[in-house]
Amino acid sequence: MTADALIALLPIMVVAGAAIVVMLAIAVRRNYRLTVILTLLGLVTALATLPLAAERAPLAATELMRIDRYALFFIGLVLATGVAVTLLCYDYFAKREEQKEEIYILLLTTLLGGAVLAASSHFASFFLGLETLSVSLFAMIAYPIKERLPLEAGIKYMTLSGAASAFLLFGMALIYAEVGVLSFAELGRLSATADFQPSVLIGIVMIIVGLGFKLSLVPFHLWTPDVYQGAPAPVTALLSTVSKSAIFALLLRYFVVSGSYSYESLSAVLTFIAVASILVGNLLALLQDNVKRILAYSSIAHLGYVVVALITGRVLGSAFAVEAVAFYLVAYVVSTLGAFGVVAVLSVGGDEAETLAAYQGLFWRNPGLASIFTASLLSLAGIPLTVGFVGKFYVFSSGVNADLWLLVWTVVIGSGVGLYYYLRIVLAMMKSADGVATAAVPAAPAPLVGCLTLTVLVALLLWLGVYPGAFMEMLQSLSKTLS
Amino acid sequence: MAQTTALWPLIIYFAAVLVVVGVMLGLPNLLGQRSRGKATVEPFESGIVPVGDTKIRFSVQFYLIAIFFVIFDLEAVYLFAWAVAFRESGWAGFIEIVVFIFVLIAALAYLWLIGALDWRTRRQRRVESKINN
Amino acid sequence: MTLFWLITVLFVGGLLAWLAERWQAAAPRWVALAALALAAGLAILLLSGADAMTAWPASPAGGAWLSELEWPWIPRFGISFHLALDGISLLLIALTVFLGFMAVACSWTEITQRSGFFHFNLLWTLAGVLGVFLAMDLFLFFFFWEVMLIPMYFLISIWGHEKRAYAAMKFFLFTQISGLLMLLSILALAFIHRQSTGVYTFDYFTLLGSRLDPGTADWLMLGFLAAFLVKLPSVPFHTWLPDAHTQAPTGGSVILAGILLKTGAYGLIRFVVPLFPDAAHRFTPVAMTLGVLSILYGAKLAFAQSDLKRLIAYSSVSHMGFVLLGVFAWNALALQGAVMTMLAHGVSSAALFMVAGALQERLHTREMGRLGGLWPKIPRIAVVALFFFIATLGMPGLGNFIGEFLVLLGAFKVSVAMTSLAALGLIAAPIYALIAIQRTFYGSARATRPIADFGVREMAMMAFMIAAMVWMGIYPQSMLEVASPAVEKLNRTAAVGAMLP
Repeated sequence: MTADALIALLPIMVVAGAAIVVMLAIAVRRNYRLTVILTLLGLVTALATLPLAAERAPLAATELMRIDRYALFFIGLVLATGVAVTLLCYDYFAKREEQKEEIYILLLTTLLGGAVLAASSHFASFFLGLETLSVSLFAMIAYPIKERLPLEAGIKYMTLSGAASAFLLFGMALIYAEVGVLSFAELGRLSATADFQPSVLIGIVMIIVGLGFKLSLVPFHLWTPDVYQGAPAPVTALLSTVSKSAIFALLLRYFVVSGSYSYESLSAVLTFIAVASILVGNLLALLQDNVKRILAYSSIAHLGYVVVALITGRVLGSAFAVEAVAFYLVAYVVSTLGAFGVVAVLSVGGDEAETLAAYQGLFWRNPGLASIFTASLLSLAGIPLTVGFVGKFYVFSSGVNADLWLLVWTVVIGSGVGLYYYLRIVLAMMKSADGVATAAVPAAPAPLVGCLTLTVLVALLLWLGVYPGAFMEMLQSLSKTLS
Repeated sequence: MAQTTALWPLIIYFAAVLVVVGVMLGLPNLLGQRSRGKATVEPFESGIVPVGDTKIRFSVQFYLIAIFFVIFDLEAVYLFAWAVAFRESGWAGFIEIVVFIFVLIAALAYLWLIGALDWRTRRQRRVESKINN
Repeated sequence: MTLFWLITVLFVGGLLAWLAERWQAAAPRWVALAALALAAGLAILLLSGADAMTAWPASPAGGAWLSELEWPWIPRFGISFHLALDGISLLLIALTVFLGFMAVACSWTEITQRSGFFHFNLLWTLAGVLGVFLAMDLFLFFFFWEVMLIPMYFLISIWGHEKRAYAAMKFFLFTQISGLLMLLSILALAFIHRQSTGVYTFDYFTLLGSRLDPGTADWLMLGFLAAFLVKLPSVPFHTWLPDAHTQAPTGGSVILAGILLKTGAYGLIRFVVPLFPDAAHRFTPVAMTLGVLSILYGAKLAFAQSDLKRLIAYSSVSHMGFVLLGVFAWNALALQGAVMTMLAHGVSSAALFMVAGALQERLHTREMGRLGGLWPKIPRIAVVALFFFIATLGMPGLGNFIGEFLVLLGAFKVSVAMTSLAALGLIAAPIYALIAIQRTFYGSARATRPIADFGVREMAMMAFMIAAMVWMGIYPQSMLEVASPAVEKLNRTAAVGAMLP
């Protein structure tokens, strides 16, 4: 372990340290505001160490972690998401729960898991990161322990996540049994020279099954709507962004580095998963009346779109796939945070604002929040001026460029269907609130911190939607570093 | 192919285990005599009819203790792993294990200070603090 | 730069109008008028340049272009912020700004609630439309194409009538899904170009010369066609239009019928035929059939309506059929006719929707069965309505006649059978137009209470519209001249393309 390696790992270590500091601070003195400030301080420090680490990239910090610009980009995404979620949690938990400080320890360990995943280049760190992420999430989902839905959601997520981890481990074991190495790069080198068809392939499929659970891809999506609905809104925001983007970053790295693109039958499996996710996610979202459930199904569909970009890497080469996946994930994270952020901000007063009725007339009661929600939903729907459109553009271009017309058509159909349910929410907000019992949603003054966070998010969403050029260039140069 | 032949004994052994267990569990059912009395399925405890339920509610603190055991005692396993390779791992290993132990101590301090090791109920605590003052 | 400001003025004006509402309830209207006045000033500036019609050697397309602007936007994919203006765009922009004024003016008393957001949406729709008419980068074109949808959706879904949610959703889904098909075609075109040249570009002028094999060209053209035929709308894809037009508030209907439909026609002229000349030629029989079908079927359905706004909406379908016919007849005469029809129909249908809106505002119904006998009560409205219904049925001396006549003249050279069928539309139009007049204004009066006639504001609006209509009818040459270099140019491009093996 050299000094360079330590500096390269600094972002991850700072997050880990922050978790311990926050824990000790809570033990010494239980102060909500102090806890939040310490958490933010830790995250900002970790973000500030990213340039230091970038100077040393690419670098293999032990066999387990590879700190390259790809990893640092996703660590940055995970941490920035963490900052946003912390700010959203601030108002949300301020008036709930007796012991609300611990959520920030869990948040930090979740982010730690995500950061480890983004940089891991070895099955061991892969699994460690994934479990750190998932185990922290169980506790976060079930944090309001006295309520029924969160508890149910937490247990559901824990059980299914455990099953998924078992699949994952079995897959890793199969690969290790056949090839005898655990590092992705070694695996890639060996599979390029020798032909390990059956059991390695089965192993990869098992890994995909395991990750499919965590990414909520069809047919492993059954937990998604219940858990999204049950979890407190800011936690849902975290669950649907950090865990998805970090795990997908890992999946992509695994595919590129371990040479999994060379298995032809794998792209058939992935194509099935992508098509099923897009169709099932979008169609089932049509039947929902609960905003959180609609967003849950929409996230299933969105992950399907990302898988499309992943598949095209086989034809277009990994660089373009990395660029497309990275951009789409950023677009998805920004829009989803915006959408769940509005839900969280509206739920500050007490009950979760999750039924469509709770949003009726929002445009006239609180035009600011309604505009933010509309912008986020339109971004998820992929309408120009928003970052979601550029993301869709990437998915379409990769699909068209790779001549994968089945996938492209599925994306078109999915986007068309998707519009309908996003617009349903928008329409509900447009309806005049005169006829509705507005007492259902107390006109609590919208919390300042949450609103500021959302404003920044929407500014980012529009900026990247109108002027994505510079960001694209950055992703393009970054995409070449992963190989 | 070599692999498959090597597996044969294992498969046969596995099958044999299944057969033996099946026979051991199945035969008594067929051969043994049955009696159906009122107290047949009751546990025998020195001739006294048992009272109450077997489902006793333990204090939740027992579960906490179990979890603490998992956390702290099992983490000690890592210390063994380090101790075995003490010389090879050198100073770097030493620093790392110090960090590790520090994290464990921090966790212990946290548990102690938030009162997770305190077995009193909330009411008892309140009463006691009144007495002390 | 003028082009950039033309669009920006409306975007910024929209934002200001929204904010102005907090200050004073009536302020958004004035802000909107001011923004439109600025845009009109810029348009006049461009129009004065139109006389010079200087050849423009820098442009790859040569001549015919009056103004151009190109800034890099997303260099990663060779996308640039590329605007350019030729005669056709100029005329359509003039129409857009003109009808923009009318839309603000006719919503003056109708929109009382949330007028800030209303004018925001109105101006952003107009800005999107201007972008569509100016964009010379396919990506930018698609961008603006979508930008104009969302505000329009809001206009219908918030300020519309009874079934507004349904109508708005239907409008949005139809246009958006067909738009996605166009996006696919745009992407495929760009990637095919990249495969042959190695350069990413979405630039219209660069892509004009792409060689495509016939099978691919057919598919790509169908993608573009889907978007434009839905927007136009042509017959099998027209079902969103009556709902959207009927449910939209008057200002929305004016923009929808007057301008938004024209973007579909513009797309056909600017993109479908020049980019895929061979495929378009192969498709000509089908397109012309669709055009004739739209003319006749639209007229028949218009005749069968009892709702005044629906009747006008179906008459739009019929008129846009002429545009489709004219575009695919593909000679200078028919193209000029198509452009002329677009302009004339823009004015006449907008005016009719304003009349229908005025009636609804006063009588709270659009059912012709519950109107009738209104002539003596509201003679001014009645006269204006009569004027525009007569314009719409193709009375010589007014704009629509010129357009439709030129289209028929041009189409005659291509297909006599189609032309004679299309000409039947000229017989069908008087039937539905006169029936509408008869049922609305003649007969025995049903309403007993007094009804307010057009006031000064409304008469002023209508005076402008009537003047425009008469101008187009009496002196169409002024507009044909502006359009003709562009038409010639496009015509040549397509002809050259079709000649290629």
